Amino acid sequence: MVKSRDGVVRSLVPYLLLSAVLMAAYLYLPSVRTVAQSAAVIGIPVHFLASLPSTALKGMQGHLTTADQLRSDFEAMRQRNLILQARLHRFEFLENENARLRELLSAMPSEAEQVTLAALLAVNPDPAALAVMINKGSADGIFQGQPVVDSGGLVGQVTKPSLFFSKVSLITQEDQAVPAQVARSGLRTVVYGSGPGRLLRVPYLDRNADVRAGDLLVTSGLGGRYPPGYPVARITAVERNLAEAFMKITAEAASHLGRDREVLLLWLSEKEVNALQDPMETEEDDD
Amino acid sequence: MISVSSGQHRSWIPFATVFVALVLLVIPVPELIRSFLPDWVSLVLIYWALALPDRMRLPIAWGVGLVIDLVVLGIPGVHALSKTILVYLAKHLSLRVRAHPLWQQSVVIALLLGIELILFVIVDFAMTGNMGEVHRWTAVIVGGLVWPLVYFALRRSRHLANLGR
Repeated sequence: MVKSRDGVVRSLVPYLLLSAVLMAAYLYLPSVRTVAQSAAVIGIPVHFLASLPSTALKGMQGHLTTADQLRSDFEAMRQRNLILQARLHRFEFLENENARLRELLSAMPSEAEQVTLAALLAVNPDPAALAVMINKGSADGIFQGQPVVDSGGLVGQVTKPSLFFSKVSLITQEDQAVPAQVARSGLRTVVYGSGPGRLLRVPYLDRNADVRAGDLLVTSGLGGRYPPGYPVARITAVERNLAEAFMKITAEAASHLGRDREVLLLWLSEKEVNALQDPMETEEDDD
Repeated sequence: MISVSSGQHRSWIPFATVFVALVLLVIPVPELIRSFLPDWVSLVLIYWALALPDRMRLPIAWGVGLVIDLVVLGIPGVHALSKTILVYLAKHLSLRVRAHPLWQQSVVIALLLGIELILFVIVDFAMTGNMGEVHRWTAVIVGGLVWPLVYFALRRSRHLANLGR
């Protein structure tokens, strides 16, 4: 089976070139991207089969829990529900009040948000990619750039919607940036991902800024991608160095970063979605 | 040994094993274990390239790689490229490697997986500017260690498929 150099050129090189062309086309031509996203439907049977064991396990857990445990769980949930109900009443009151005050200020009312629940399909095979797969896709109306939250706070955004499943990039990815503000003082800044782990970077706060350890950073809504008010990170340490213009801040992500079984997808209001698209189009819409 | 009565080839069986490997690749497992797991599809492709070097053609490897790229929503072409190179090397080594005892095969398999990982690291570096975590490389060693298991399981499937040397 010894082959000459010509053999290598003829057999292997065409495939290498084909792969390279495909990669380049995907990276530089948006239309190829769309084709690839629809072609990803062939992954559905694979993802379906891969999710069976965990689904079965979940079903088994239901059968195996004892009646006592169920009763105590139920009791705990009932109590929690009561507490949440009470809080919700207060929340409704505040929301009404907020709407009235906004009217007084003749500002835009913040529209009620619509959410969709999605289950985590599988973690991306490459853990360095800092992304998770969810079981909702463009067939469910999922769109690129859609914010994803869980019970803790902001998880990330949909970066690759395919027809029936999508890839969510976590905010810890190094190329992700979230416009945020300090919940306590309203100070605005930008939170950056810092790669694997739960830590985030807050590089641009000058050394006199009003922040301290324990402060919560929430989305500010600036930039239009993430709606305001969702927890992003909690500041764990603040280091002021007089020699440097900016503070050294360590912050830990507030969400579970895709370790929960379920996540919530947020729908932005019509206006916010338009803002995400081409600015020229929005101008036409306004006319 | 399993005796197969009819002399019919069941050439869908190798494809079925690749499919199973693909499912294993995306199955949800705890984060901690995941980074130590080898790429099952690579192992299966290497096996078939070693066992049936004439039937395992490069277009098959390229196609399987492309399917992986689509399933994991990666950049199409990355796995296609790496799997083609992997199968090409395995095909050329097949006569020599088949004569080796299993543990020596394991070493060769780990080397092949290492070459594939180098490709991934290069692509990652070009895309994101970082090389990924160091413990990715343990997957290469684990791949070599589980090779005997993969070998016996797939040899059984090859006898079932009635595809001999």
